[in-house]
Amino acid sequence: MAIFTSMVYQNEFLADGNTDVNAIIRIDCAEAGVAGQSGAGDVGEIVIVDTSASMGLINMQAAKDAAMVAVDTILDGTYFSIIAGNHSAYLAFPRVTSGPGMVRMSPSTRATAKQAIAAFRADGGTAMGSWLLLARSLFRSIPSLAGKHAILLTDGENHNESVVQLDAAIRQCLGEFQADCRGIGVEWQVSEIRKIATSLLGTVDVIPGPADLPRVFQELIARSMSRGVPDAQLRVWVPQGAQILFVRQVSPTVEDLTARGTGVAPLTMAFPTGAWGDESRDYHIAVRLPAKEVGTEQLAARLQLAAGASVLTQGLVKAKWSSDASLTARISPEVAHYTGQTELAAAIQDGLAAKAAGDDRTATAKLGRAVQLAQATGNAEATTKLGKVVDIADAATGTVRLKKNVEKADEMALDTASTRTTRIRG
Amino acid sequence: MNIFGHDAPGVEWTPDSDSEETMPVMPLAPTRLHVDPYPPACPSCGGELGVDGYCLTCGAKAKTLREHYEMAPSDWVAGVCDIGRVHPHNEDSLDCKALDGRAILVVCDGVTTSYGSDVASMAAARTACEFLWMSTPQGLGTPESREAAVSATLKEAVARANEAVIATTDPSAPGSAAATIAIGLVEGMDIVAASLGDSRVYWLPDSGEPVLVTKDHSLAQAAIDSGTARAAAESAAFAHTITKWLGADAQDIDPYIASLVAGSPGWLIVCSDGLWNYASTAAALARVVFAEPSSTPIQLADRLVAWANEKGGHDNITVACARVIPPEEVPAAEESSEEIPKEVAPDDSAPERDTTVLRPKSVPTDETEQRDDETEQRDDVTRPDIPVTPGPASQTTLTTE
Repeated sequence: MAIFTSMVYQNEFLADGNTDVNAIIRIDCAEAGVAGQSGAGDVGEIVIVDTSASMGLINMQAAKDAAMVAVDTILDGTYFSIIAGNHSAYLAFPRVTSGPGMVRMSPSTRATAKQAIAAFRADGGTAMGSWLLLARSLFRSIPSLAGKHAILLTDGENHNESVVQLDAAIRQCLGEFQADCRGIGVEWQVSEIRKIATSLLGTVDVIPGPADLPRVFQELIARSMSRGVPDAQLRVWVPQGAQILFVRQVSPTVEDLTARGTGVAPLTMAFPTGAWGDESRDYHIAVRLPAKEVGTEQLAARLQLAAGASVLTQGLVKAKWSSDASLTARISPEVAHYTGQTELAAAIQDGLAAKAAGDDRTATAKLGRAVQLAQATGNAEATTKLGKVVDIADAATGTVRLKKNVEKADEMALDTASTRTTRIRG
Repeated sequence: MNIFGHDAPGVEWTPDSDSEETMPVMPLAPTRLHVDPYPPACPSCGGELGVDGYCLTCGAKAKTLREHYEMAPSDWVAGVCDIGRVHPHNEDSLDCKALDGRAILVVCDGVTTSYGSDVASMAAARTACEFLWMSTPQGLGTPESREAAVSATLKEAVARANEAVIATTDPSAPGSAAATIAIGLVEGMDIVAASLGDSRVYWLPDSGEPVLVTKDHSLAQAAIDSGTARAAAESAAFAHTITKWLGADAQDIDPYIASLVAGSPGWLIVCSDGLWNYASTAAALARVVFAEPSSTPIQLADRLVAWANEKGGHDNITVACARVIPPEEVPAAEESSEEIPKEVAPDDSAPERDTTVLRPKSVPTDETEQRDDETEQRDDVTRPDIPVTPGPASQTTLTTE
């Protein structure tokens, strides 16, 4: 049985007239166990491989190898399917045309699945929305599934669907399953894949070359298999008259969950957090309260991580109005750190978007700010990756110059890494 | 092998049905339980309280029933016991009873520097109140014999309160539990007060001179007796050091006893230093009490506690009050009775204040701040459960002549 613990970081003191309370809750999970074997229900795993023509011989072969490694890594007893995607979505395994669209992993299903993967050929276009919708239907065909995870590999833009079509497909998959997305090569759109991954509570990253593909798939599946808690939600209670300003995951990556809340009880919104393994995550919650007189103390938010009807851990966010400026002027170091990290992610993404649009002035300003924030918050990975896109004259002031010749892969690596945060130093 | 031809990498699969699942609606689940219960509803908005005392509607933190409780045994007697704003625990206790023209008001103040004083003060207050309720002599014999009987009964009540403190607390705990006690008895217009330590009884007539009926057993009072001005003595570093108390290590539990006959309607106030710290003289307290038109006893007690909290609430605050009105409500022009309290049956053997044994109620940090900063000394380890079982002798009645 998984053990959850939590800790709230905040400055509960508010100056007279102030209404906004910020808090970081750190949630740790230990002894999560193995997916599908913790008594919390069955788990399903779907591997989605881009088989469009652009994959070519080399990437297609690497993708086949990787998919086979993935099948090797999926634990026996886990429900699984293999989807081959181009301008349409095909169920490569199991070869059924109706009924349950997933089968349990066993030595024999593993062998048959590998035969199906071996038959992949690069052909056709790309319509990722259709791949997602097929995955959704396959997961839904097995009612006993508690954990649902997919990995999606692509190498190109979503040519055969409009943005509206893709967005509609993503919307239908919200809360249905989690998806980690990976792009190979430099022809895919980071923003497009990030949209899928963040909506489906997964990660996005660039795979440097075909040789890395099997290792990446192995790691993704292994991590999914180690998530013994198939699904949990962050429930946020705020008092009557209060307003949730935002709810963000801020570590290990920045993901804005604010729009994902659903009402579960009076004054309580639930935000999806997906499956949990042995890990630690931080969430940043901001609440606006009706102003109270100095001396008043109240609960500003009750934060609970819940799975089904059971509360796994709880943290309390408080508010105390005080006339003591030495108390009210302090900013929680954790809140300040993650506020900076969130701004860093936005600065990198905005800067790269401006650069792509040819707006060098905005790009220089945004990426300069990003360099400054990366330095201030001790995000060495972001500093290193920024250094491949801009020449840093002075990190402290954010004085930078756009590099003349930048590798597309370096820009994409910076973009995909932008949401990864560091923990506060010390 | 491929039923759709060699171009397709798999089959086209169609789901049987695609029914929408609904997310279950979950209530907030409880997490942990506290030792002391909370009131049934939020005092701020009337909403339901969570198990941790935070209102599930407005978020206000409710006080536990040990941190704040009110008693109103009749329409002319009531009391409020409150944690205040600074101390982490409420070590004051209150008990009161009233029927017809008779009332008993008891306030005890647990000594912060000793362990288990919240339990001790509760046991003392309940035991003394219960004992007096069962045994107060009711106007038999001559006034002198009655006075002596009342005095003996009050001393017995204090002795039993002392036994209850010893019986309900752990003698092996570091710093044995201790508490003050102040008792106000009302029988028609007759008022008798007893005190040990520095909790007080005031008589505040609607017209006429307000009176501090009791005399503290404290170093502040000793300084006053030897000529120091009250304001200076009560703001000195030693002000809150008491010279008599209830508890296992008490050496002298002989209470100060005084009586008076009320000559006009007024308020009898029994309180802990959490209130009188902000209005020590009878005149100062009377100004606060009569600042607003006379209200019900519970309204007055609530108002005085709120007032002390507004002043800082640096200590636990307990106020019990009785609205004393002449029988048959004879207005004014009564024959003016003696309102100066006289000490009843002073203990002639030992000197009344034994300053060789001192008990700091709280540890002041420095001279200028001590009234505002009574440092909490004890560790918050497991606290014994409330309510308290009274001492073994508490049900016995005392027969007086």
